[in-house]
Amino acid sequence: MHEMGIAIEIYRTCREVVREHGQGRLQTVRIAVGELAAVEPDLLKFGWEAVIADGPDEGAELEIDFCRADQRCPSCGEAKKRSEGSWFRICPDCGAPLEVRGGDELDVLEVSFETDDEPAEASKTQE
Amino acid sequence: MMKKLVTIRRKALAASEEQADKLRERFADSGTLVFNLISSPGSGKTTLLETTIGRMAEVYKMAVIEGDVATERDADRIRAMGVPAHQVLTSGACHLDARQIETALEATDLLPADILFIENVGNLICPTTYDLGEDFKIALLSVTEGDDKPIKYPAIFSRADITVITKSDLLPYVPFDLDTVMAHISSLNPTGVILVVSSTTGEGIDLWCDLIASRFEAKRRS
Repeated sequence: MHEMGIAIEIYRTCREVVREHGQGRLQTVRIAVGELAAVEPDLLKFGWEAVIADGPDEGAELEIDFCRADQRCPSCGEAKKRSEGSWFRICPDCGAPLEVRGGDELDVLEVSFETDDEPAEASKTQE
Repeated sequence: MMKKLVTIRRKALAASEEQADKLRERFADSGTLVFNLISSPGSGKTTLLETTIGRMAEVYKMAVIEGDVATERDADRIRAMGVPAHQVLTSGACHLDARQIETALEATDLLPADILFIENVGNLICPTTYDLGEDFKIALLSVTEGDDKPIKYPAIFSRADITVITKSDLLPYVPFDLDTVMAHISSLNPTGVILVVSSTTGEGIDLWCDLIASRFEAKRRS
C-alpha cells in the first residue's frame, strides 16, 4: 500500500501552494488520478483523511478526477475502447501495438483555501 | 475570511521526481548505467545479481543498492562477492524512493561505477510508481509464481523495459505456460524485451549479460 505515502506527498504539495499564495486553511483539493497510475482512489482518500486528521486542515476535501487512457491503433487508425481492468496494448482487431495517451496522471490540479489575506489578492489564481 | 482557488498542474510526487532527476544527472556524470529490479519476494533477484557479478564484475565496475524491510542479508551476499553494496532498510515500507537512493549514495562509496543495480523491495505493486533515476526498470517473474501474474499485476510488466523470467530449470515441474506468459507480457508491453533464464543451469545468462553490456555501451556512447 503506497497510497498513504502519496497522500502525504499531495498534502505537502498543497501546503506549498498555499504558502506560495498567502496563508490559510485548506478547503478542497482536486487531483487527477489516471487509470494506469497504479493508485487506488478510495485508498488514497482514506490516506488523505488520516494525513489531515487532528491538524490545521482537518476536514479538507480531496476530490479525485479519475482519468481514462486514450488508446488508438496506428494500423486501423481508430480509437480502441479499453476494457475495464485490462492493460493490454495490442489492438484486438489487427494485433498491432496500440498508442496509449494519458491515463498515467497523478497530479494536483486545484487547491482552494480560506484566508484572511487582502481581498485584492484573494481571487482566482492560475499558474 | 476570503476563499482562494489556485489552479495548478503539479505532479503529486514532485519532490520525489525532482530527486530522481538529480540522481539521473549524477549517474550521467559518473557514466553509470542504472537498473531498478522489481519483482515479488523470492523470485531470484539477489541470485541473478550474484550470477551477473560472477560473470561480469571483472570487466565492469559494479555496485548494488539493496532494499528490504529488514536484515542486511542481501547486501552481505553481494559484499561477499567483492562488490560494494548498501542495504536500505525500509522498516515496513513497501518500496524505495529516490530520496533513499540519495542517502545510500552518501552513506556508501558506490560511485563511480559502470553499472549500479538497485534491488527494490520485493513487491510487484508499489515500486512501480517510483522513479529512482534509473535508466531501465527490470521486472523478474519466477516460474514458480504462476503464469497469471503479468495480467494480475499489469502495471510493472507494462512499464518494465526488460522482463526476466527466472528459474527456468523448474519449468518441467510447475504448471507454467511459458508461451502464454510471453504473449501476455508482449501484449502489455509491445516494445519490451523478455528473457528466460536460470541462475542454476546458466540458461539464458549469456543473453542477459550481453543485454546489460550492450545497454552499458549504448549509454557510454550517448
